[in-house]
Amino acid sequence: MRALRTAASGMAAQQLNVEVISNNIANMNTVGFKRQRAEFQDLLYQNVERMGAQSSSQGTVIPTGIQIGAGVKAGSVYRVTEQGTPTQTGNRYDVAIDGRGYFQILMPSGETAYTRAGNFSVNGEGQLVTDDGYAVQPNISIPQDAIDVSISKSGQVQVITQGETEPQIVGQIELASFFNEAGLEAIGDNLLLETAASGPANVGTPAEVGFGELLQGYTEASNVDAVAEISALIIAQRAYEMNSKVITTADQMLSVAGQVKS
Amino acid sequence: MENAAYVGLSRQMTLRRELDIVANNIANADTTGFKVEQLLLGEEVGERARNAFVRPGVSFVMDNGVGRDFGQGALEQTSRALDFAIEGEGAFFALKDGAGDAYTRDGAFTLDPEGRLTTQGGAAVQGDGGDIILDPALGQVAVAADGTISQNGQPVGRLSVVRFDTLAVLEKGGDGLYRNASNAAPVAANDVQVRQSMLEGSNVNPILEITNLIEIQRAYESVTRMIENTNDLSRRAVERLGRAA
Repeated sequence: MRALRTAASGMAAQQLNVEVISNNIANMNTVGFKRQRAEFQDLLYQNVERMGAQSSSQGTVIPTGIQIGAGVKAGSVYRVTEQGTPTQTGNRYDVAIDGRGYFQILMPSGETAYTRAGNFSVNGEGQLVTDDGYAVQPNISIPQDAIDVSISKSGQVQVITQGETEPQIVGQIELASFFNEAGLEAIGDNLLLETAASGPANVGTPAEVGFGELLQGYTEASNVDAVAEISALIIAQRAYEMNSKVITTADQMLSVAGQVKS
Repeated sequence: MENAAYVGLSRQMTLRRELDIVANNIANADTTGFKVEQLLLGEEVGERARNAFVRPGVSFVMDNGVGRDFGQGALEQTSRALDFAIEGEGAFFALKDGAGDAYTRDGAFTLDPEGRLTTQGGAAVQGDGGDIILDPALGQVAVAADGTISQNGQPVGRLSVVRFDTLAVLEKGGDGLYRNASNAAPVAANDVQVRQSMLEGSNVNPILEITNLIEIQRAYESVTRMIENTNDLSRRAVERLGRAA
């Protein structure tokens, strides 16, 4: 009975859906997190009776044919790269991107990772780093005697040092953009890696055409909408239940067939 | 053999097939752009299994085809710029993939590394002049109701939305795709609207499907009982007739 396997594919798909939704809800308060969405597609169809085939020698043609589907599969789970709300933090090293683009982060392995989470800090050498201590690229060093740091919309980092009145430029934050942002590979810790699907990084200055502006003293909240996720969870649960009902029915029909007396 | 057993068997076979189709509908209740299907049954006048003096007609149950309901599915807001839904029945986004032309109602598109608009499965979305190439750096993608794509106020292409004179020429190919099984050419659908940042849900009605499920199960049970009764009848007939001889 095909129905058993079809319903099982439906249950597996809904289970994946719940996993994606629960990850979204769990990361509701993760800085720069982009919610994901599971997209489903129908599986292959079996042509039991091919449409357009002749049903008699007089040339009568079957108009629609019989195609029976084999269930559902997860087509893709993609990130919805919608802007999250900038949240004021008051921390002067917090930077949110308002618009397109990713911060570039140098990983210990030498690779460049990309992130939307701009909750940076300064390490022992005065370098601007992420929470995990990975340096923001290009390198920006804040002098030890800096009394104030300002990051402009276009990414210019200026400091005012002790006894000076003129601000001094110490660096420029650059952003990277991709043709297909959804194709970036998430590696955890809010970091993403470039893949063949995302296309190569295109590096530019914030606030230029195609890049967002920077907001100092803000971080970007996740774009998870709690109400939408909870309703998606309810829909997934009901769909799961319906598929299990199909399995029960198919099972009972099989048992009826098995009990026919000869 | 008795005609009744064969008639019952023909119904049982179609019931199983109906169950397979209902199972597929329910499994795809959450599939973007999925269109619900049902088995179309017909009466098939068949030859009688025995030559009786009185000749009552015998008709078997035959599945003649699968009917697809191309009705509109509910539109769901997704707030993603590359999600599109068609508002209006029987029209499709035109696609091109390795196997040729394809058509879909699933408008959850994405860009490939070269900036080409594709489906999640990688089939290129077709515009009026072939593939649609977008450069995200040019700004927000906005799509008008007639499918015109613009960035920064400049039109950059137009989604090709097509329909067929008869929807019966379409064959489901899996992955949300339909393929044209005839040589009928699609025509532009100008009476439908493209909605951006929306996806069309399936048009599966869960209550109807669950009701179908119950109906199929009960019908299967009663047909089984009928076959059993017919079988009992002939066994008893053989026993009694055997005794008389």
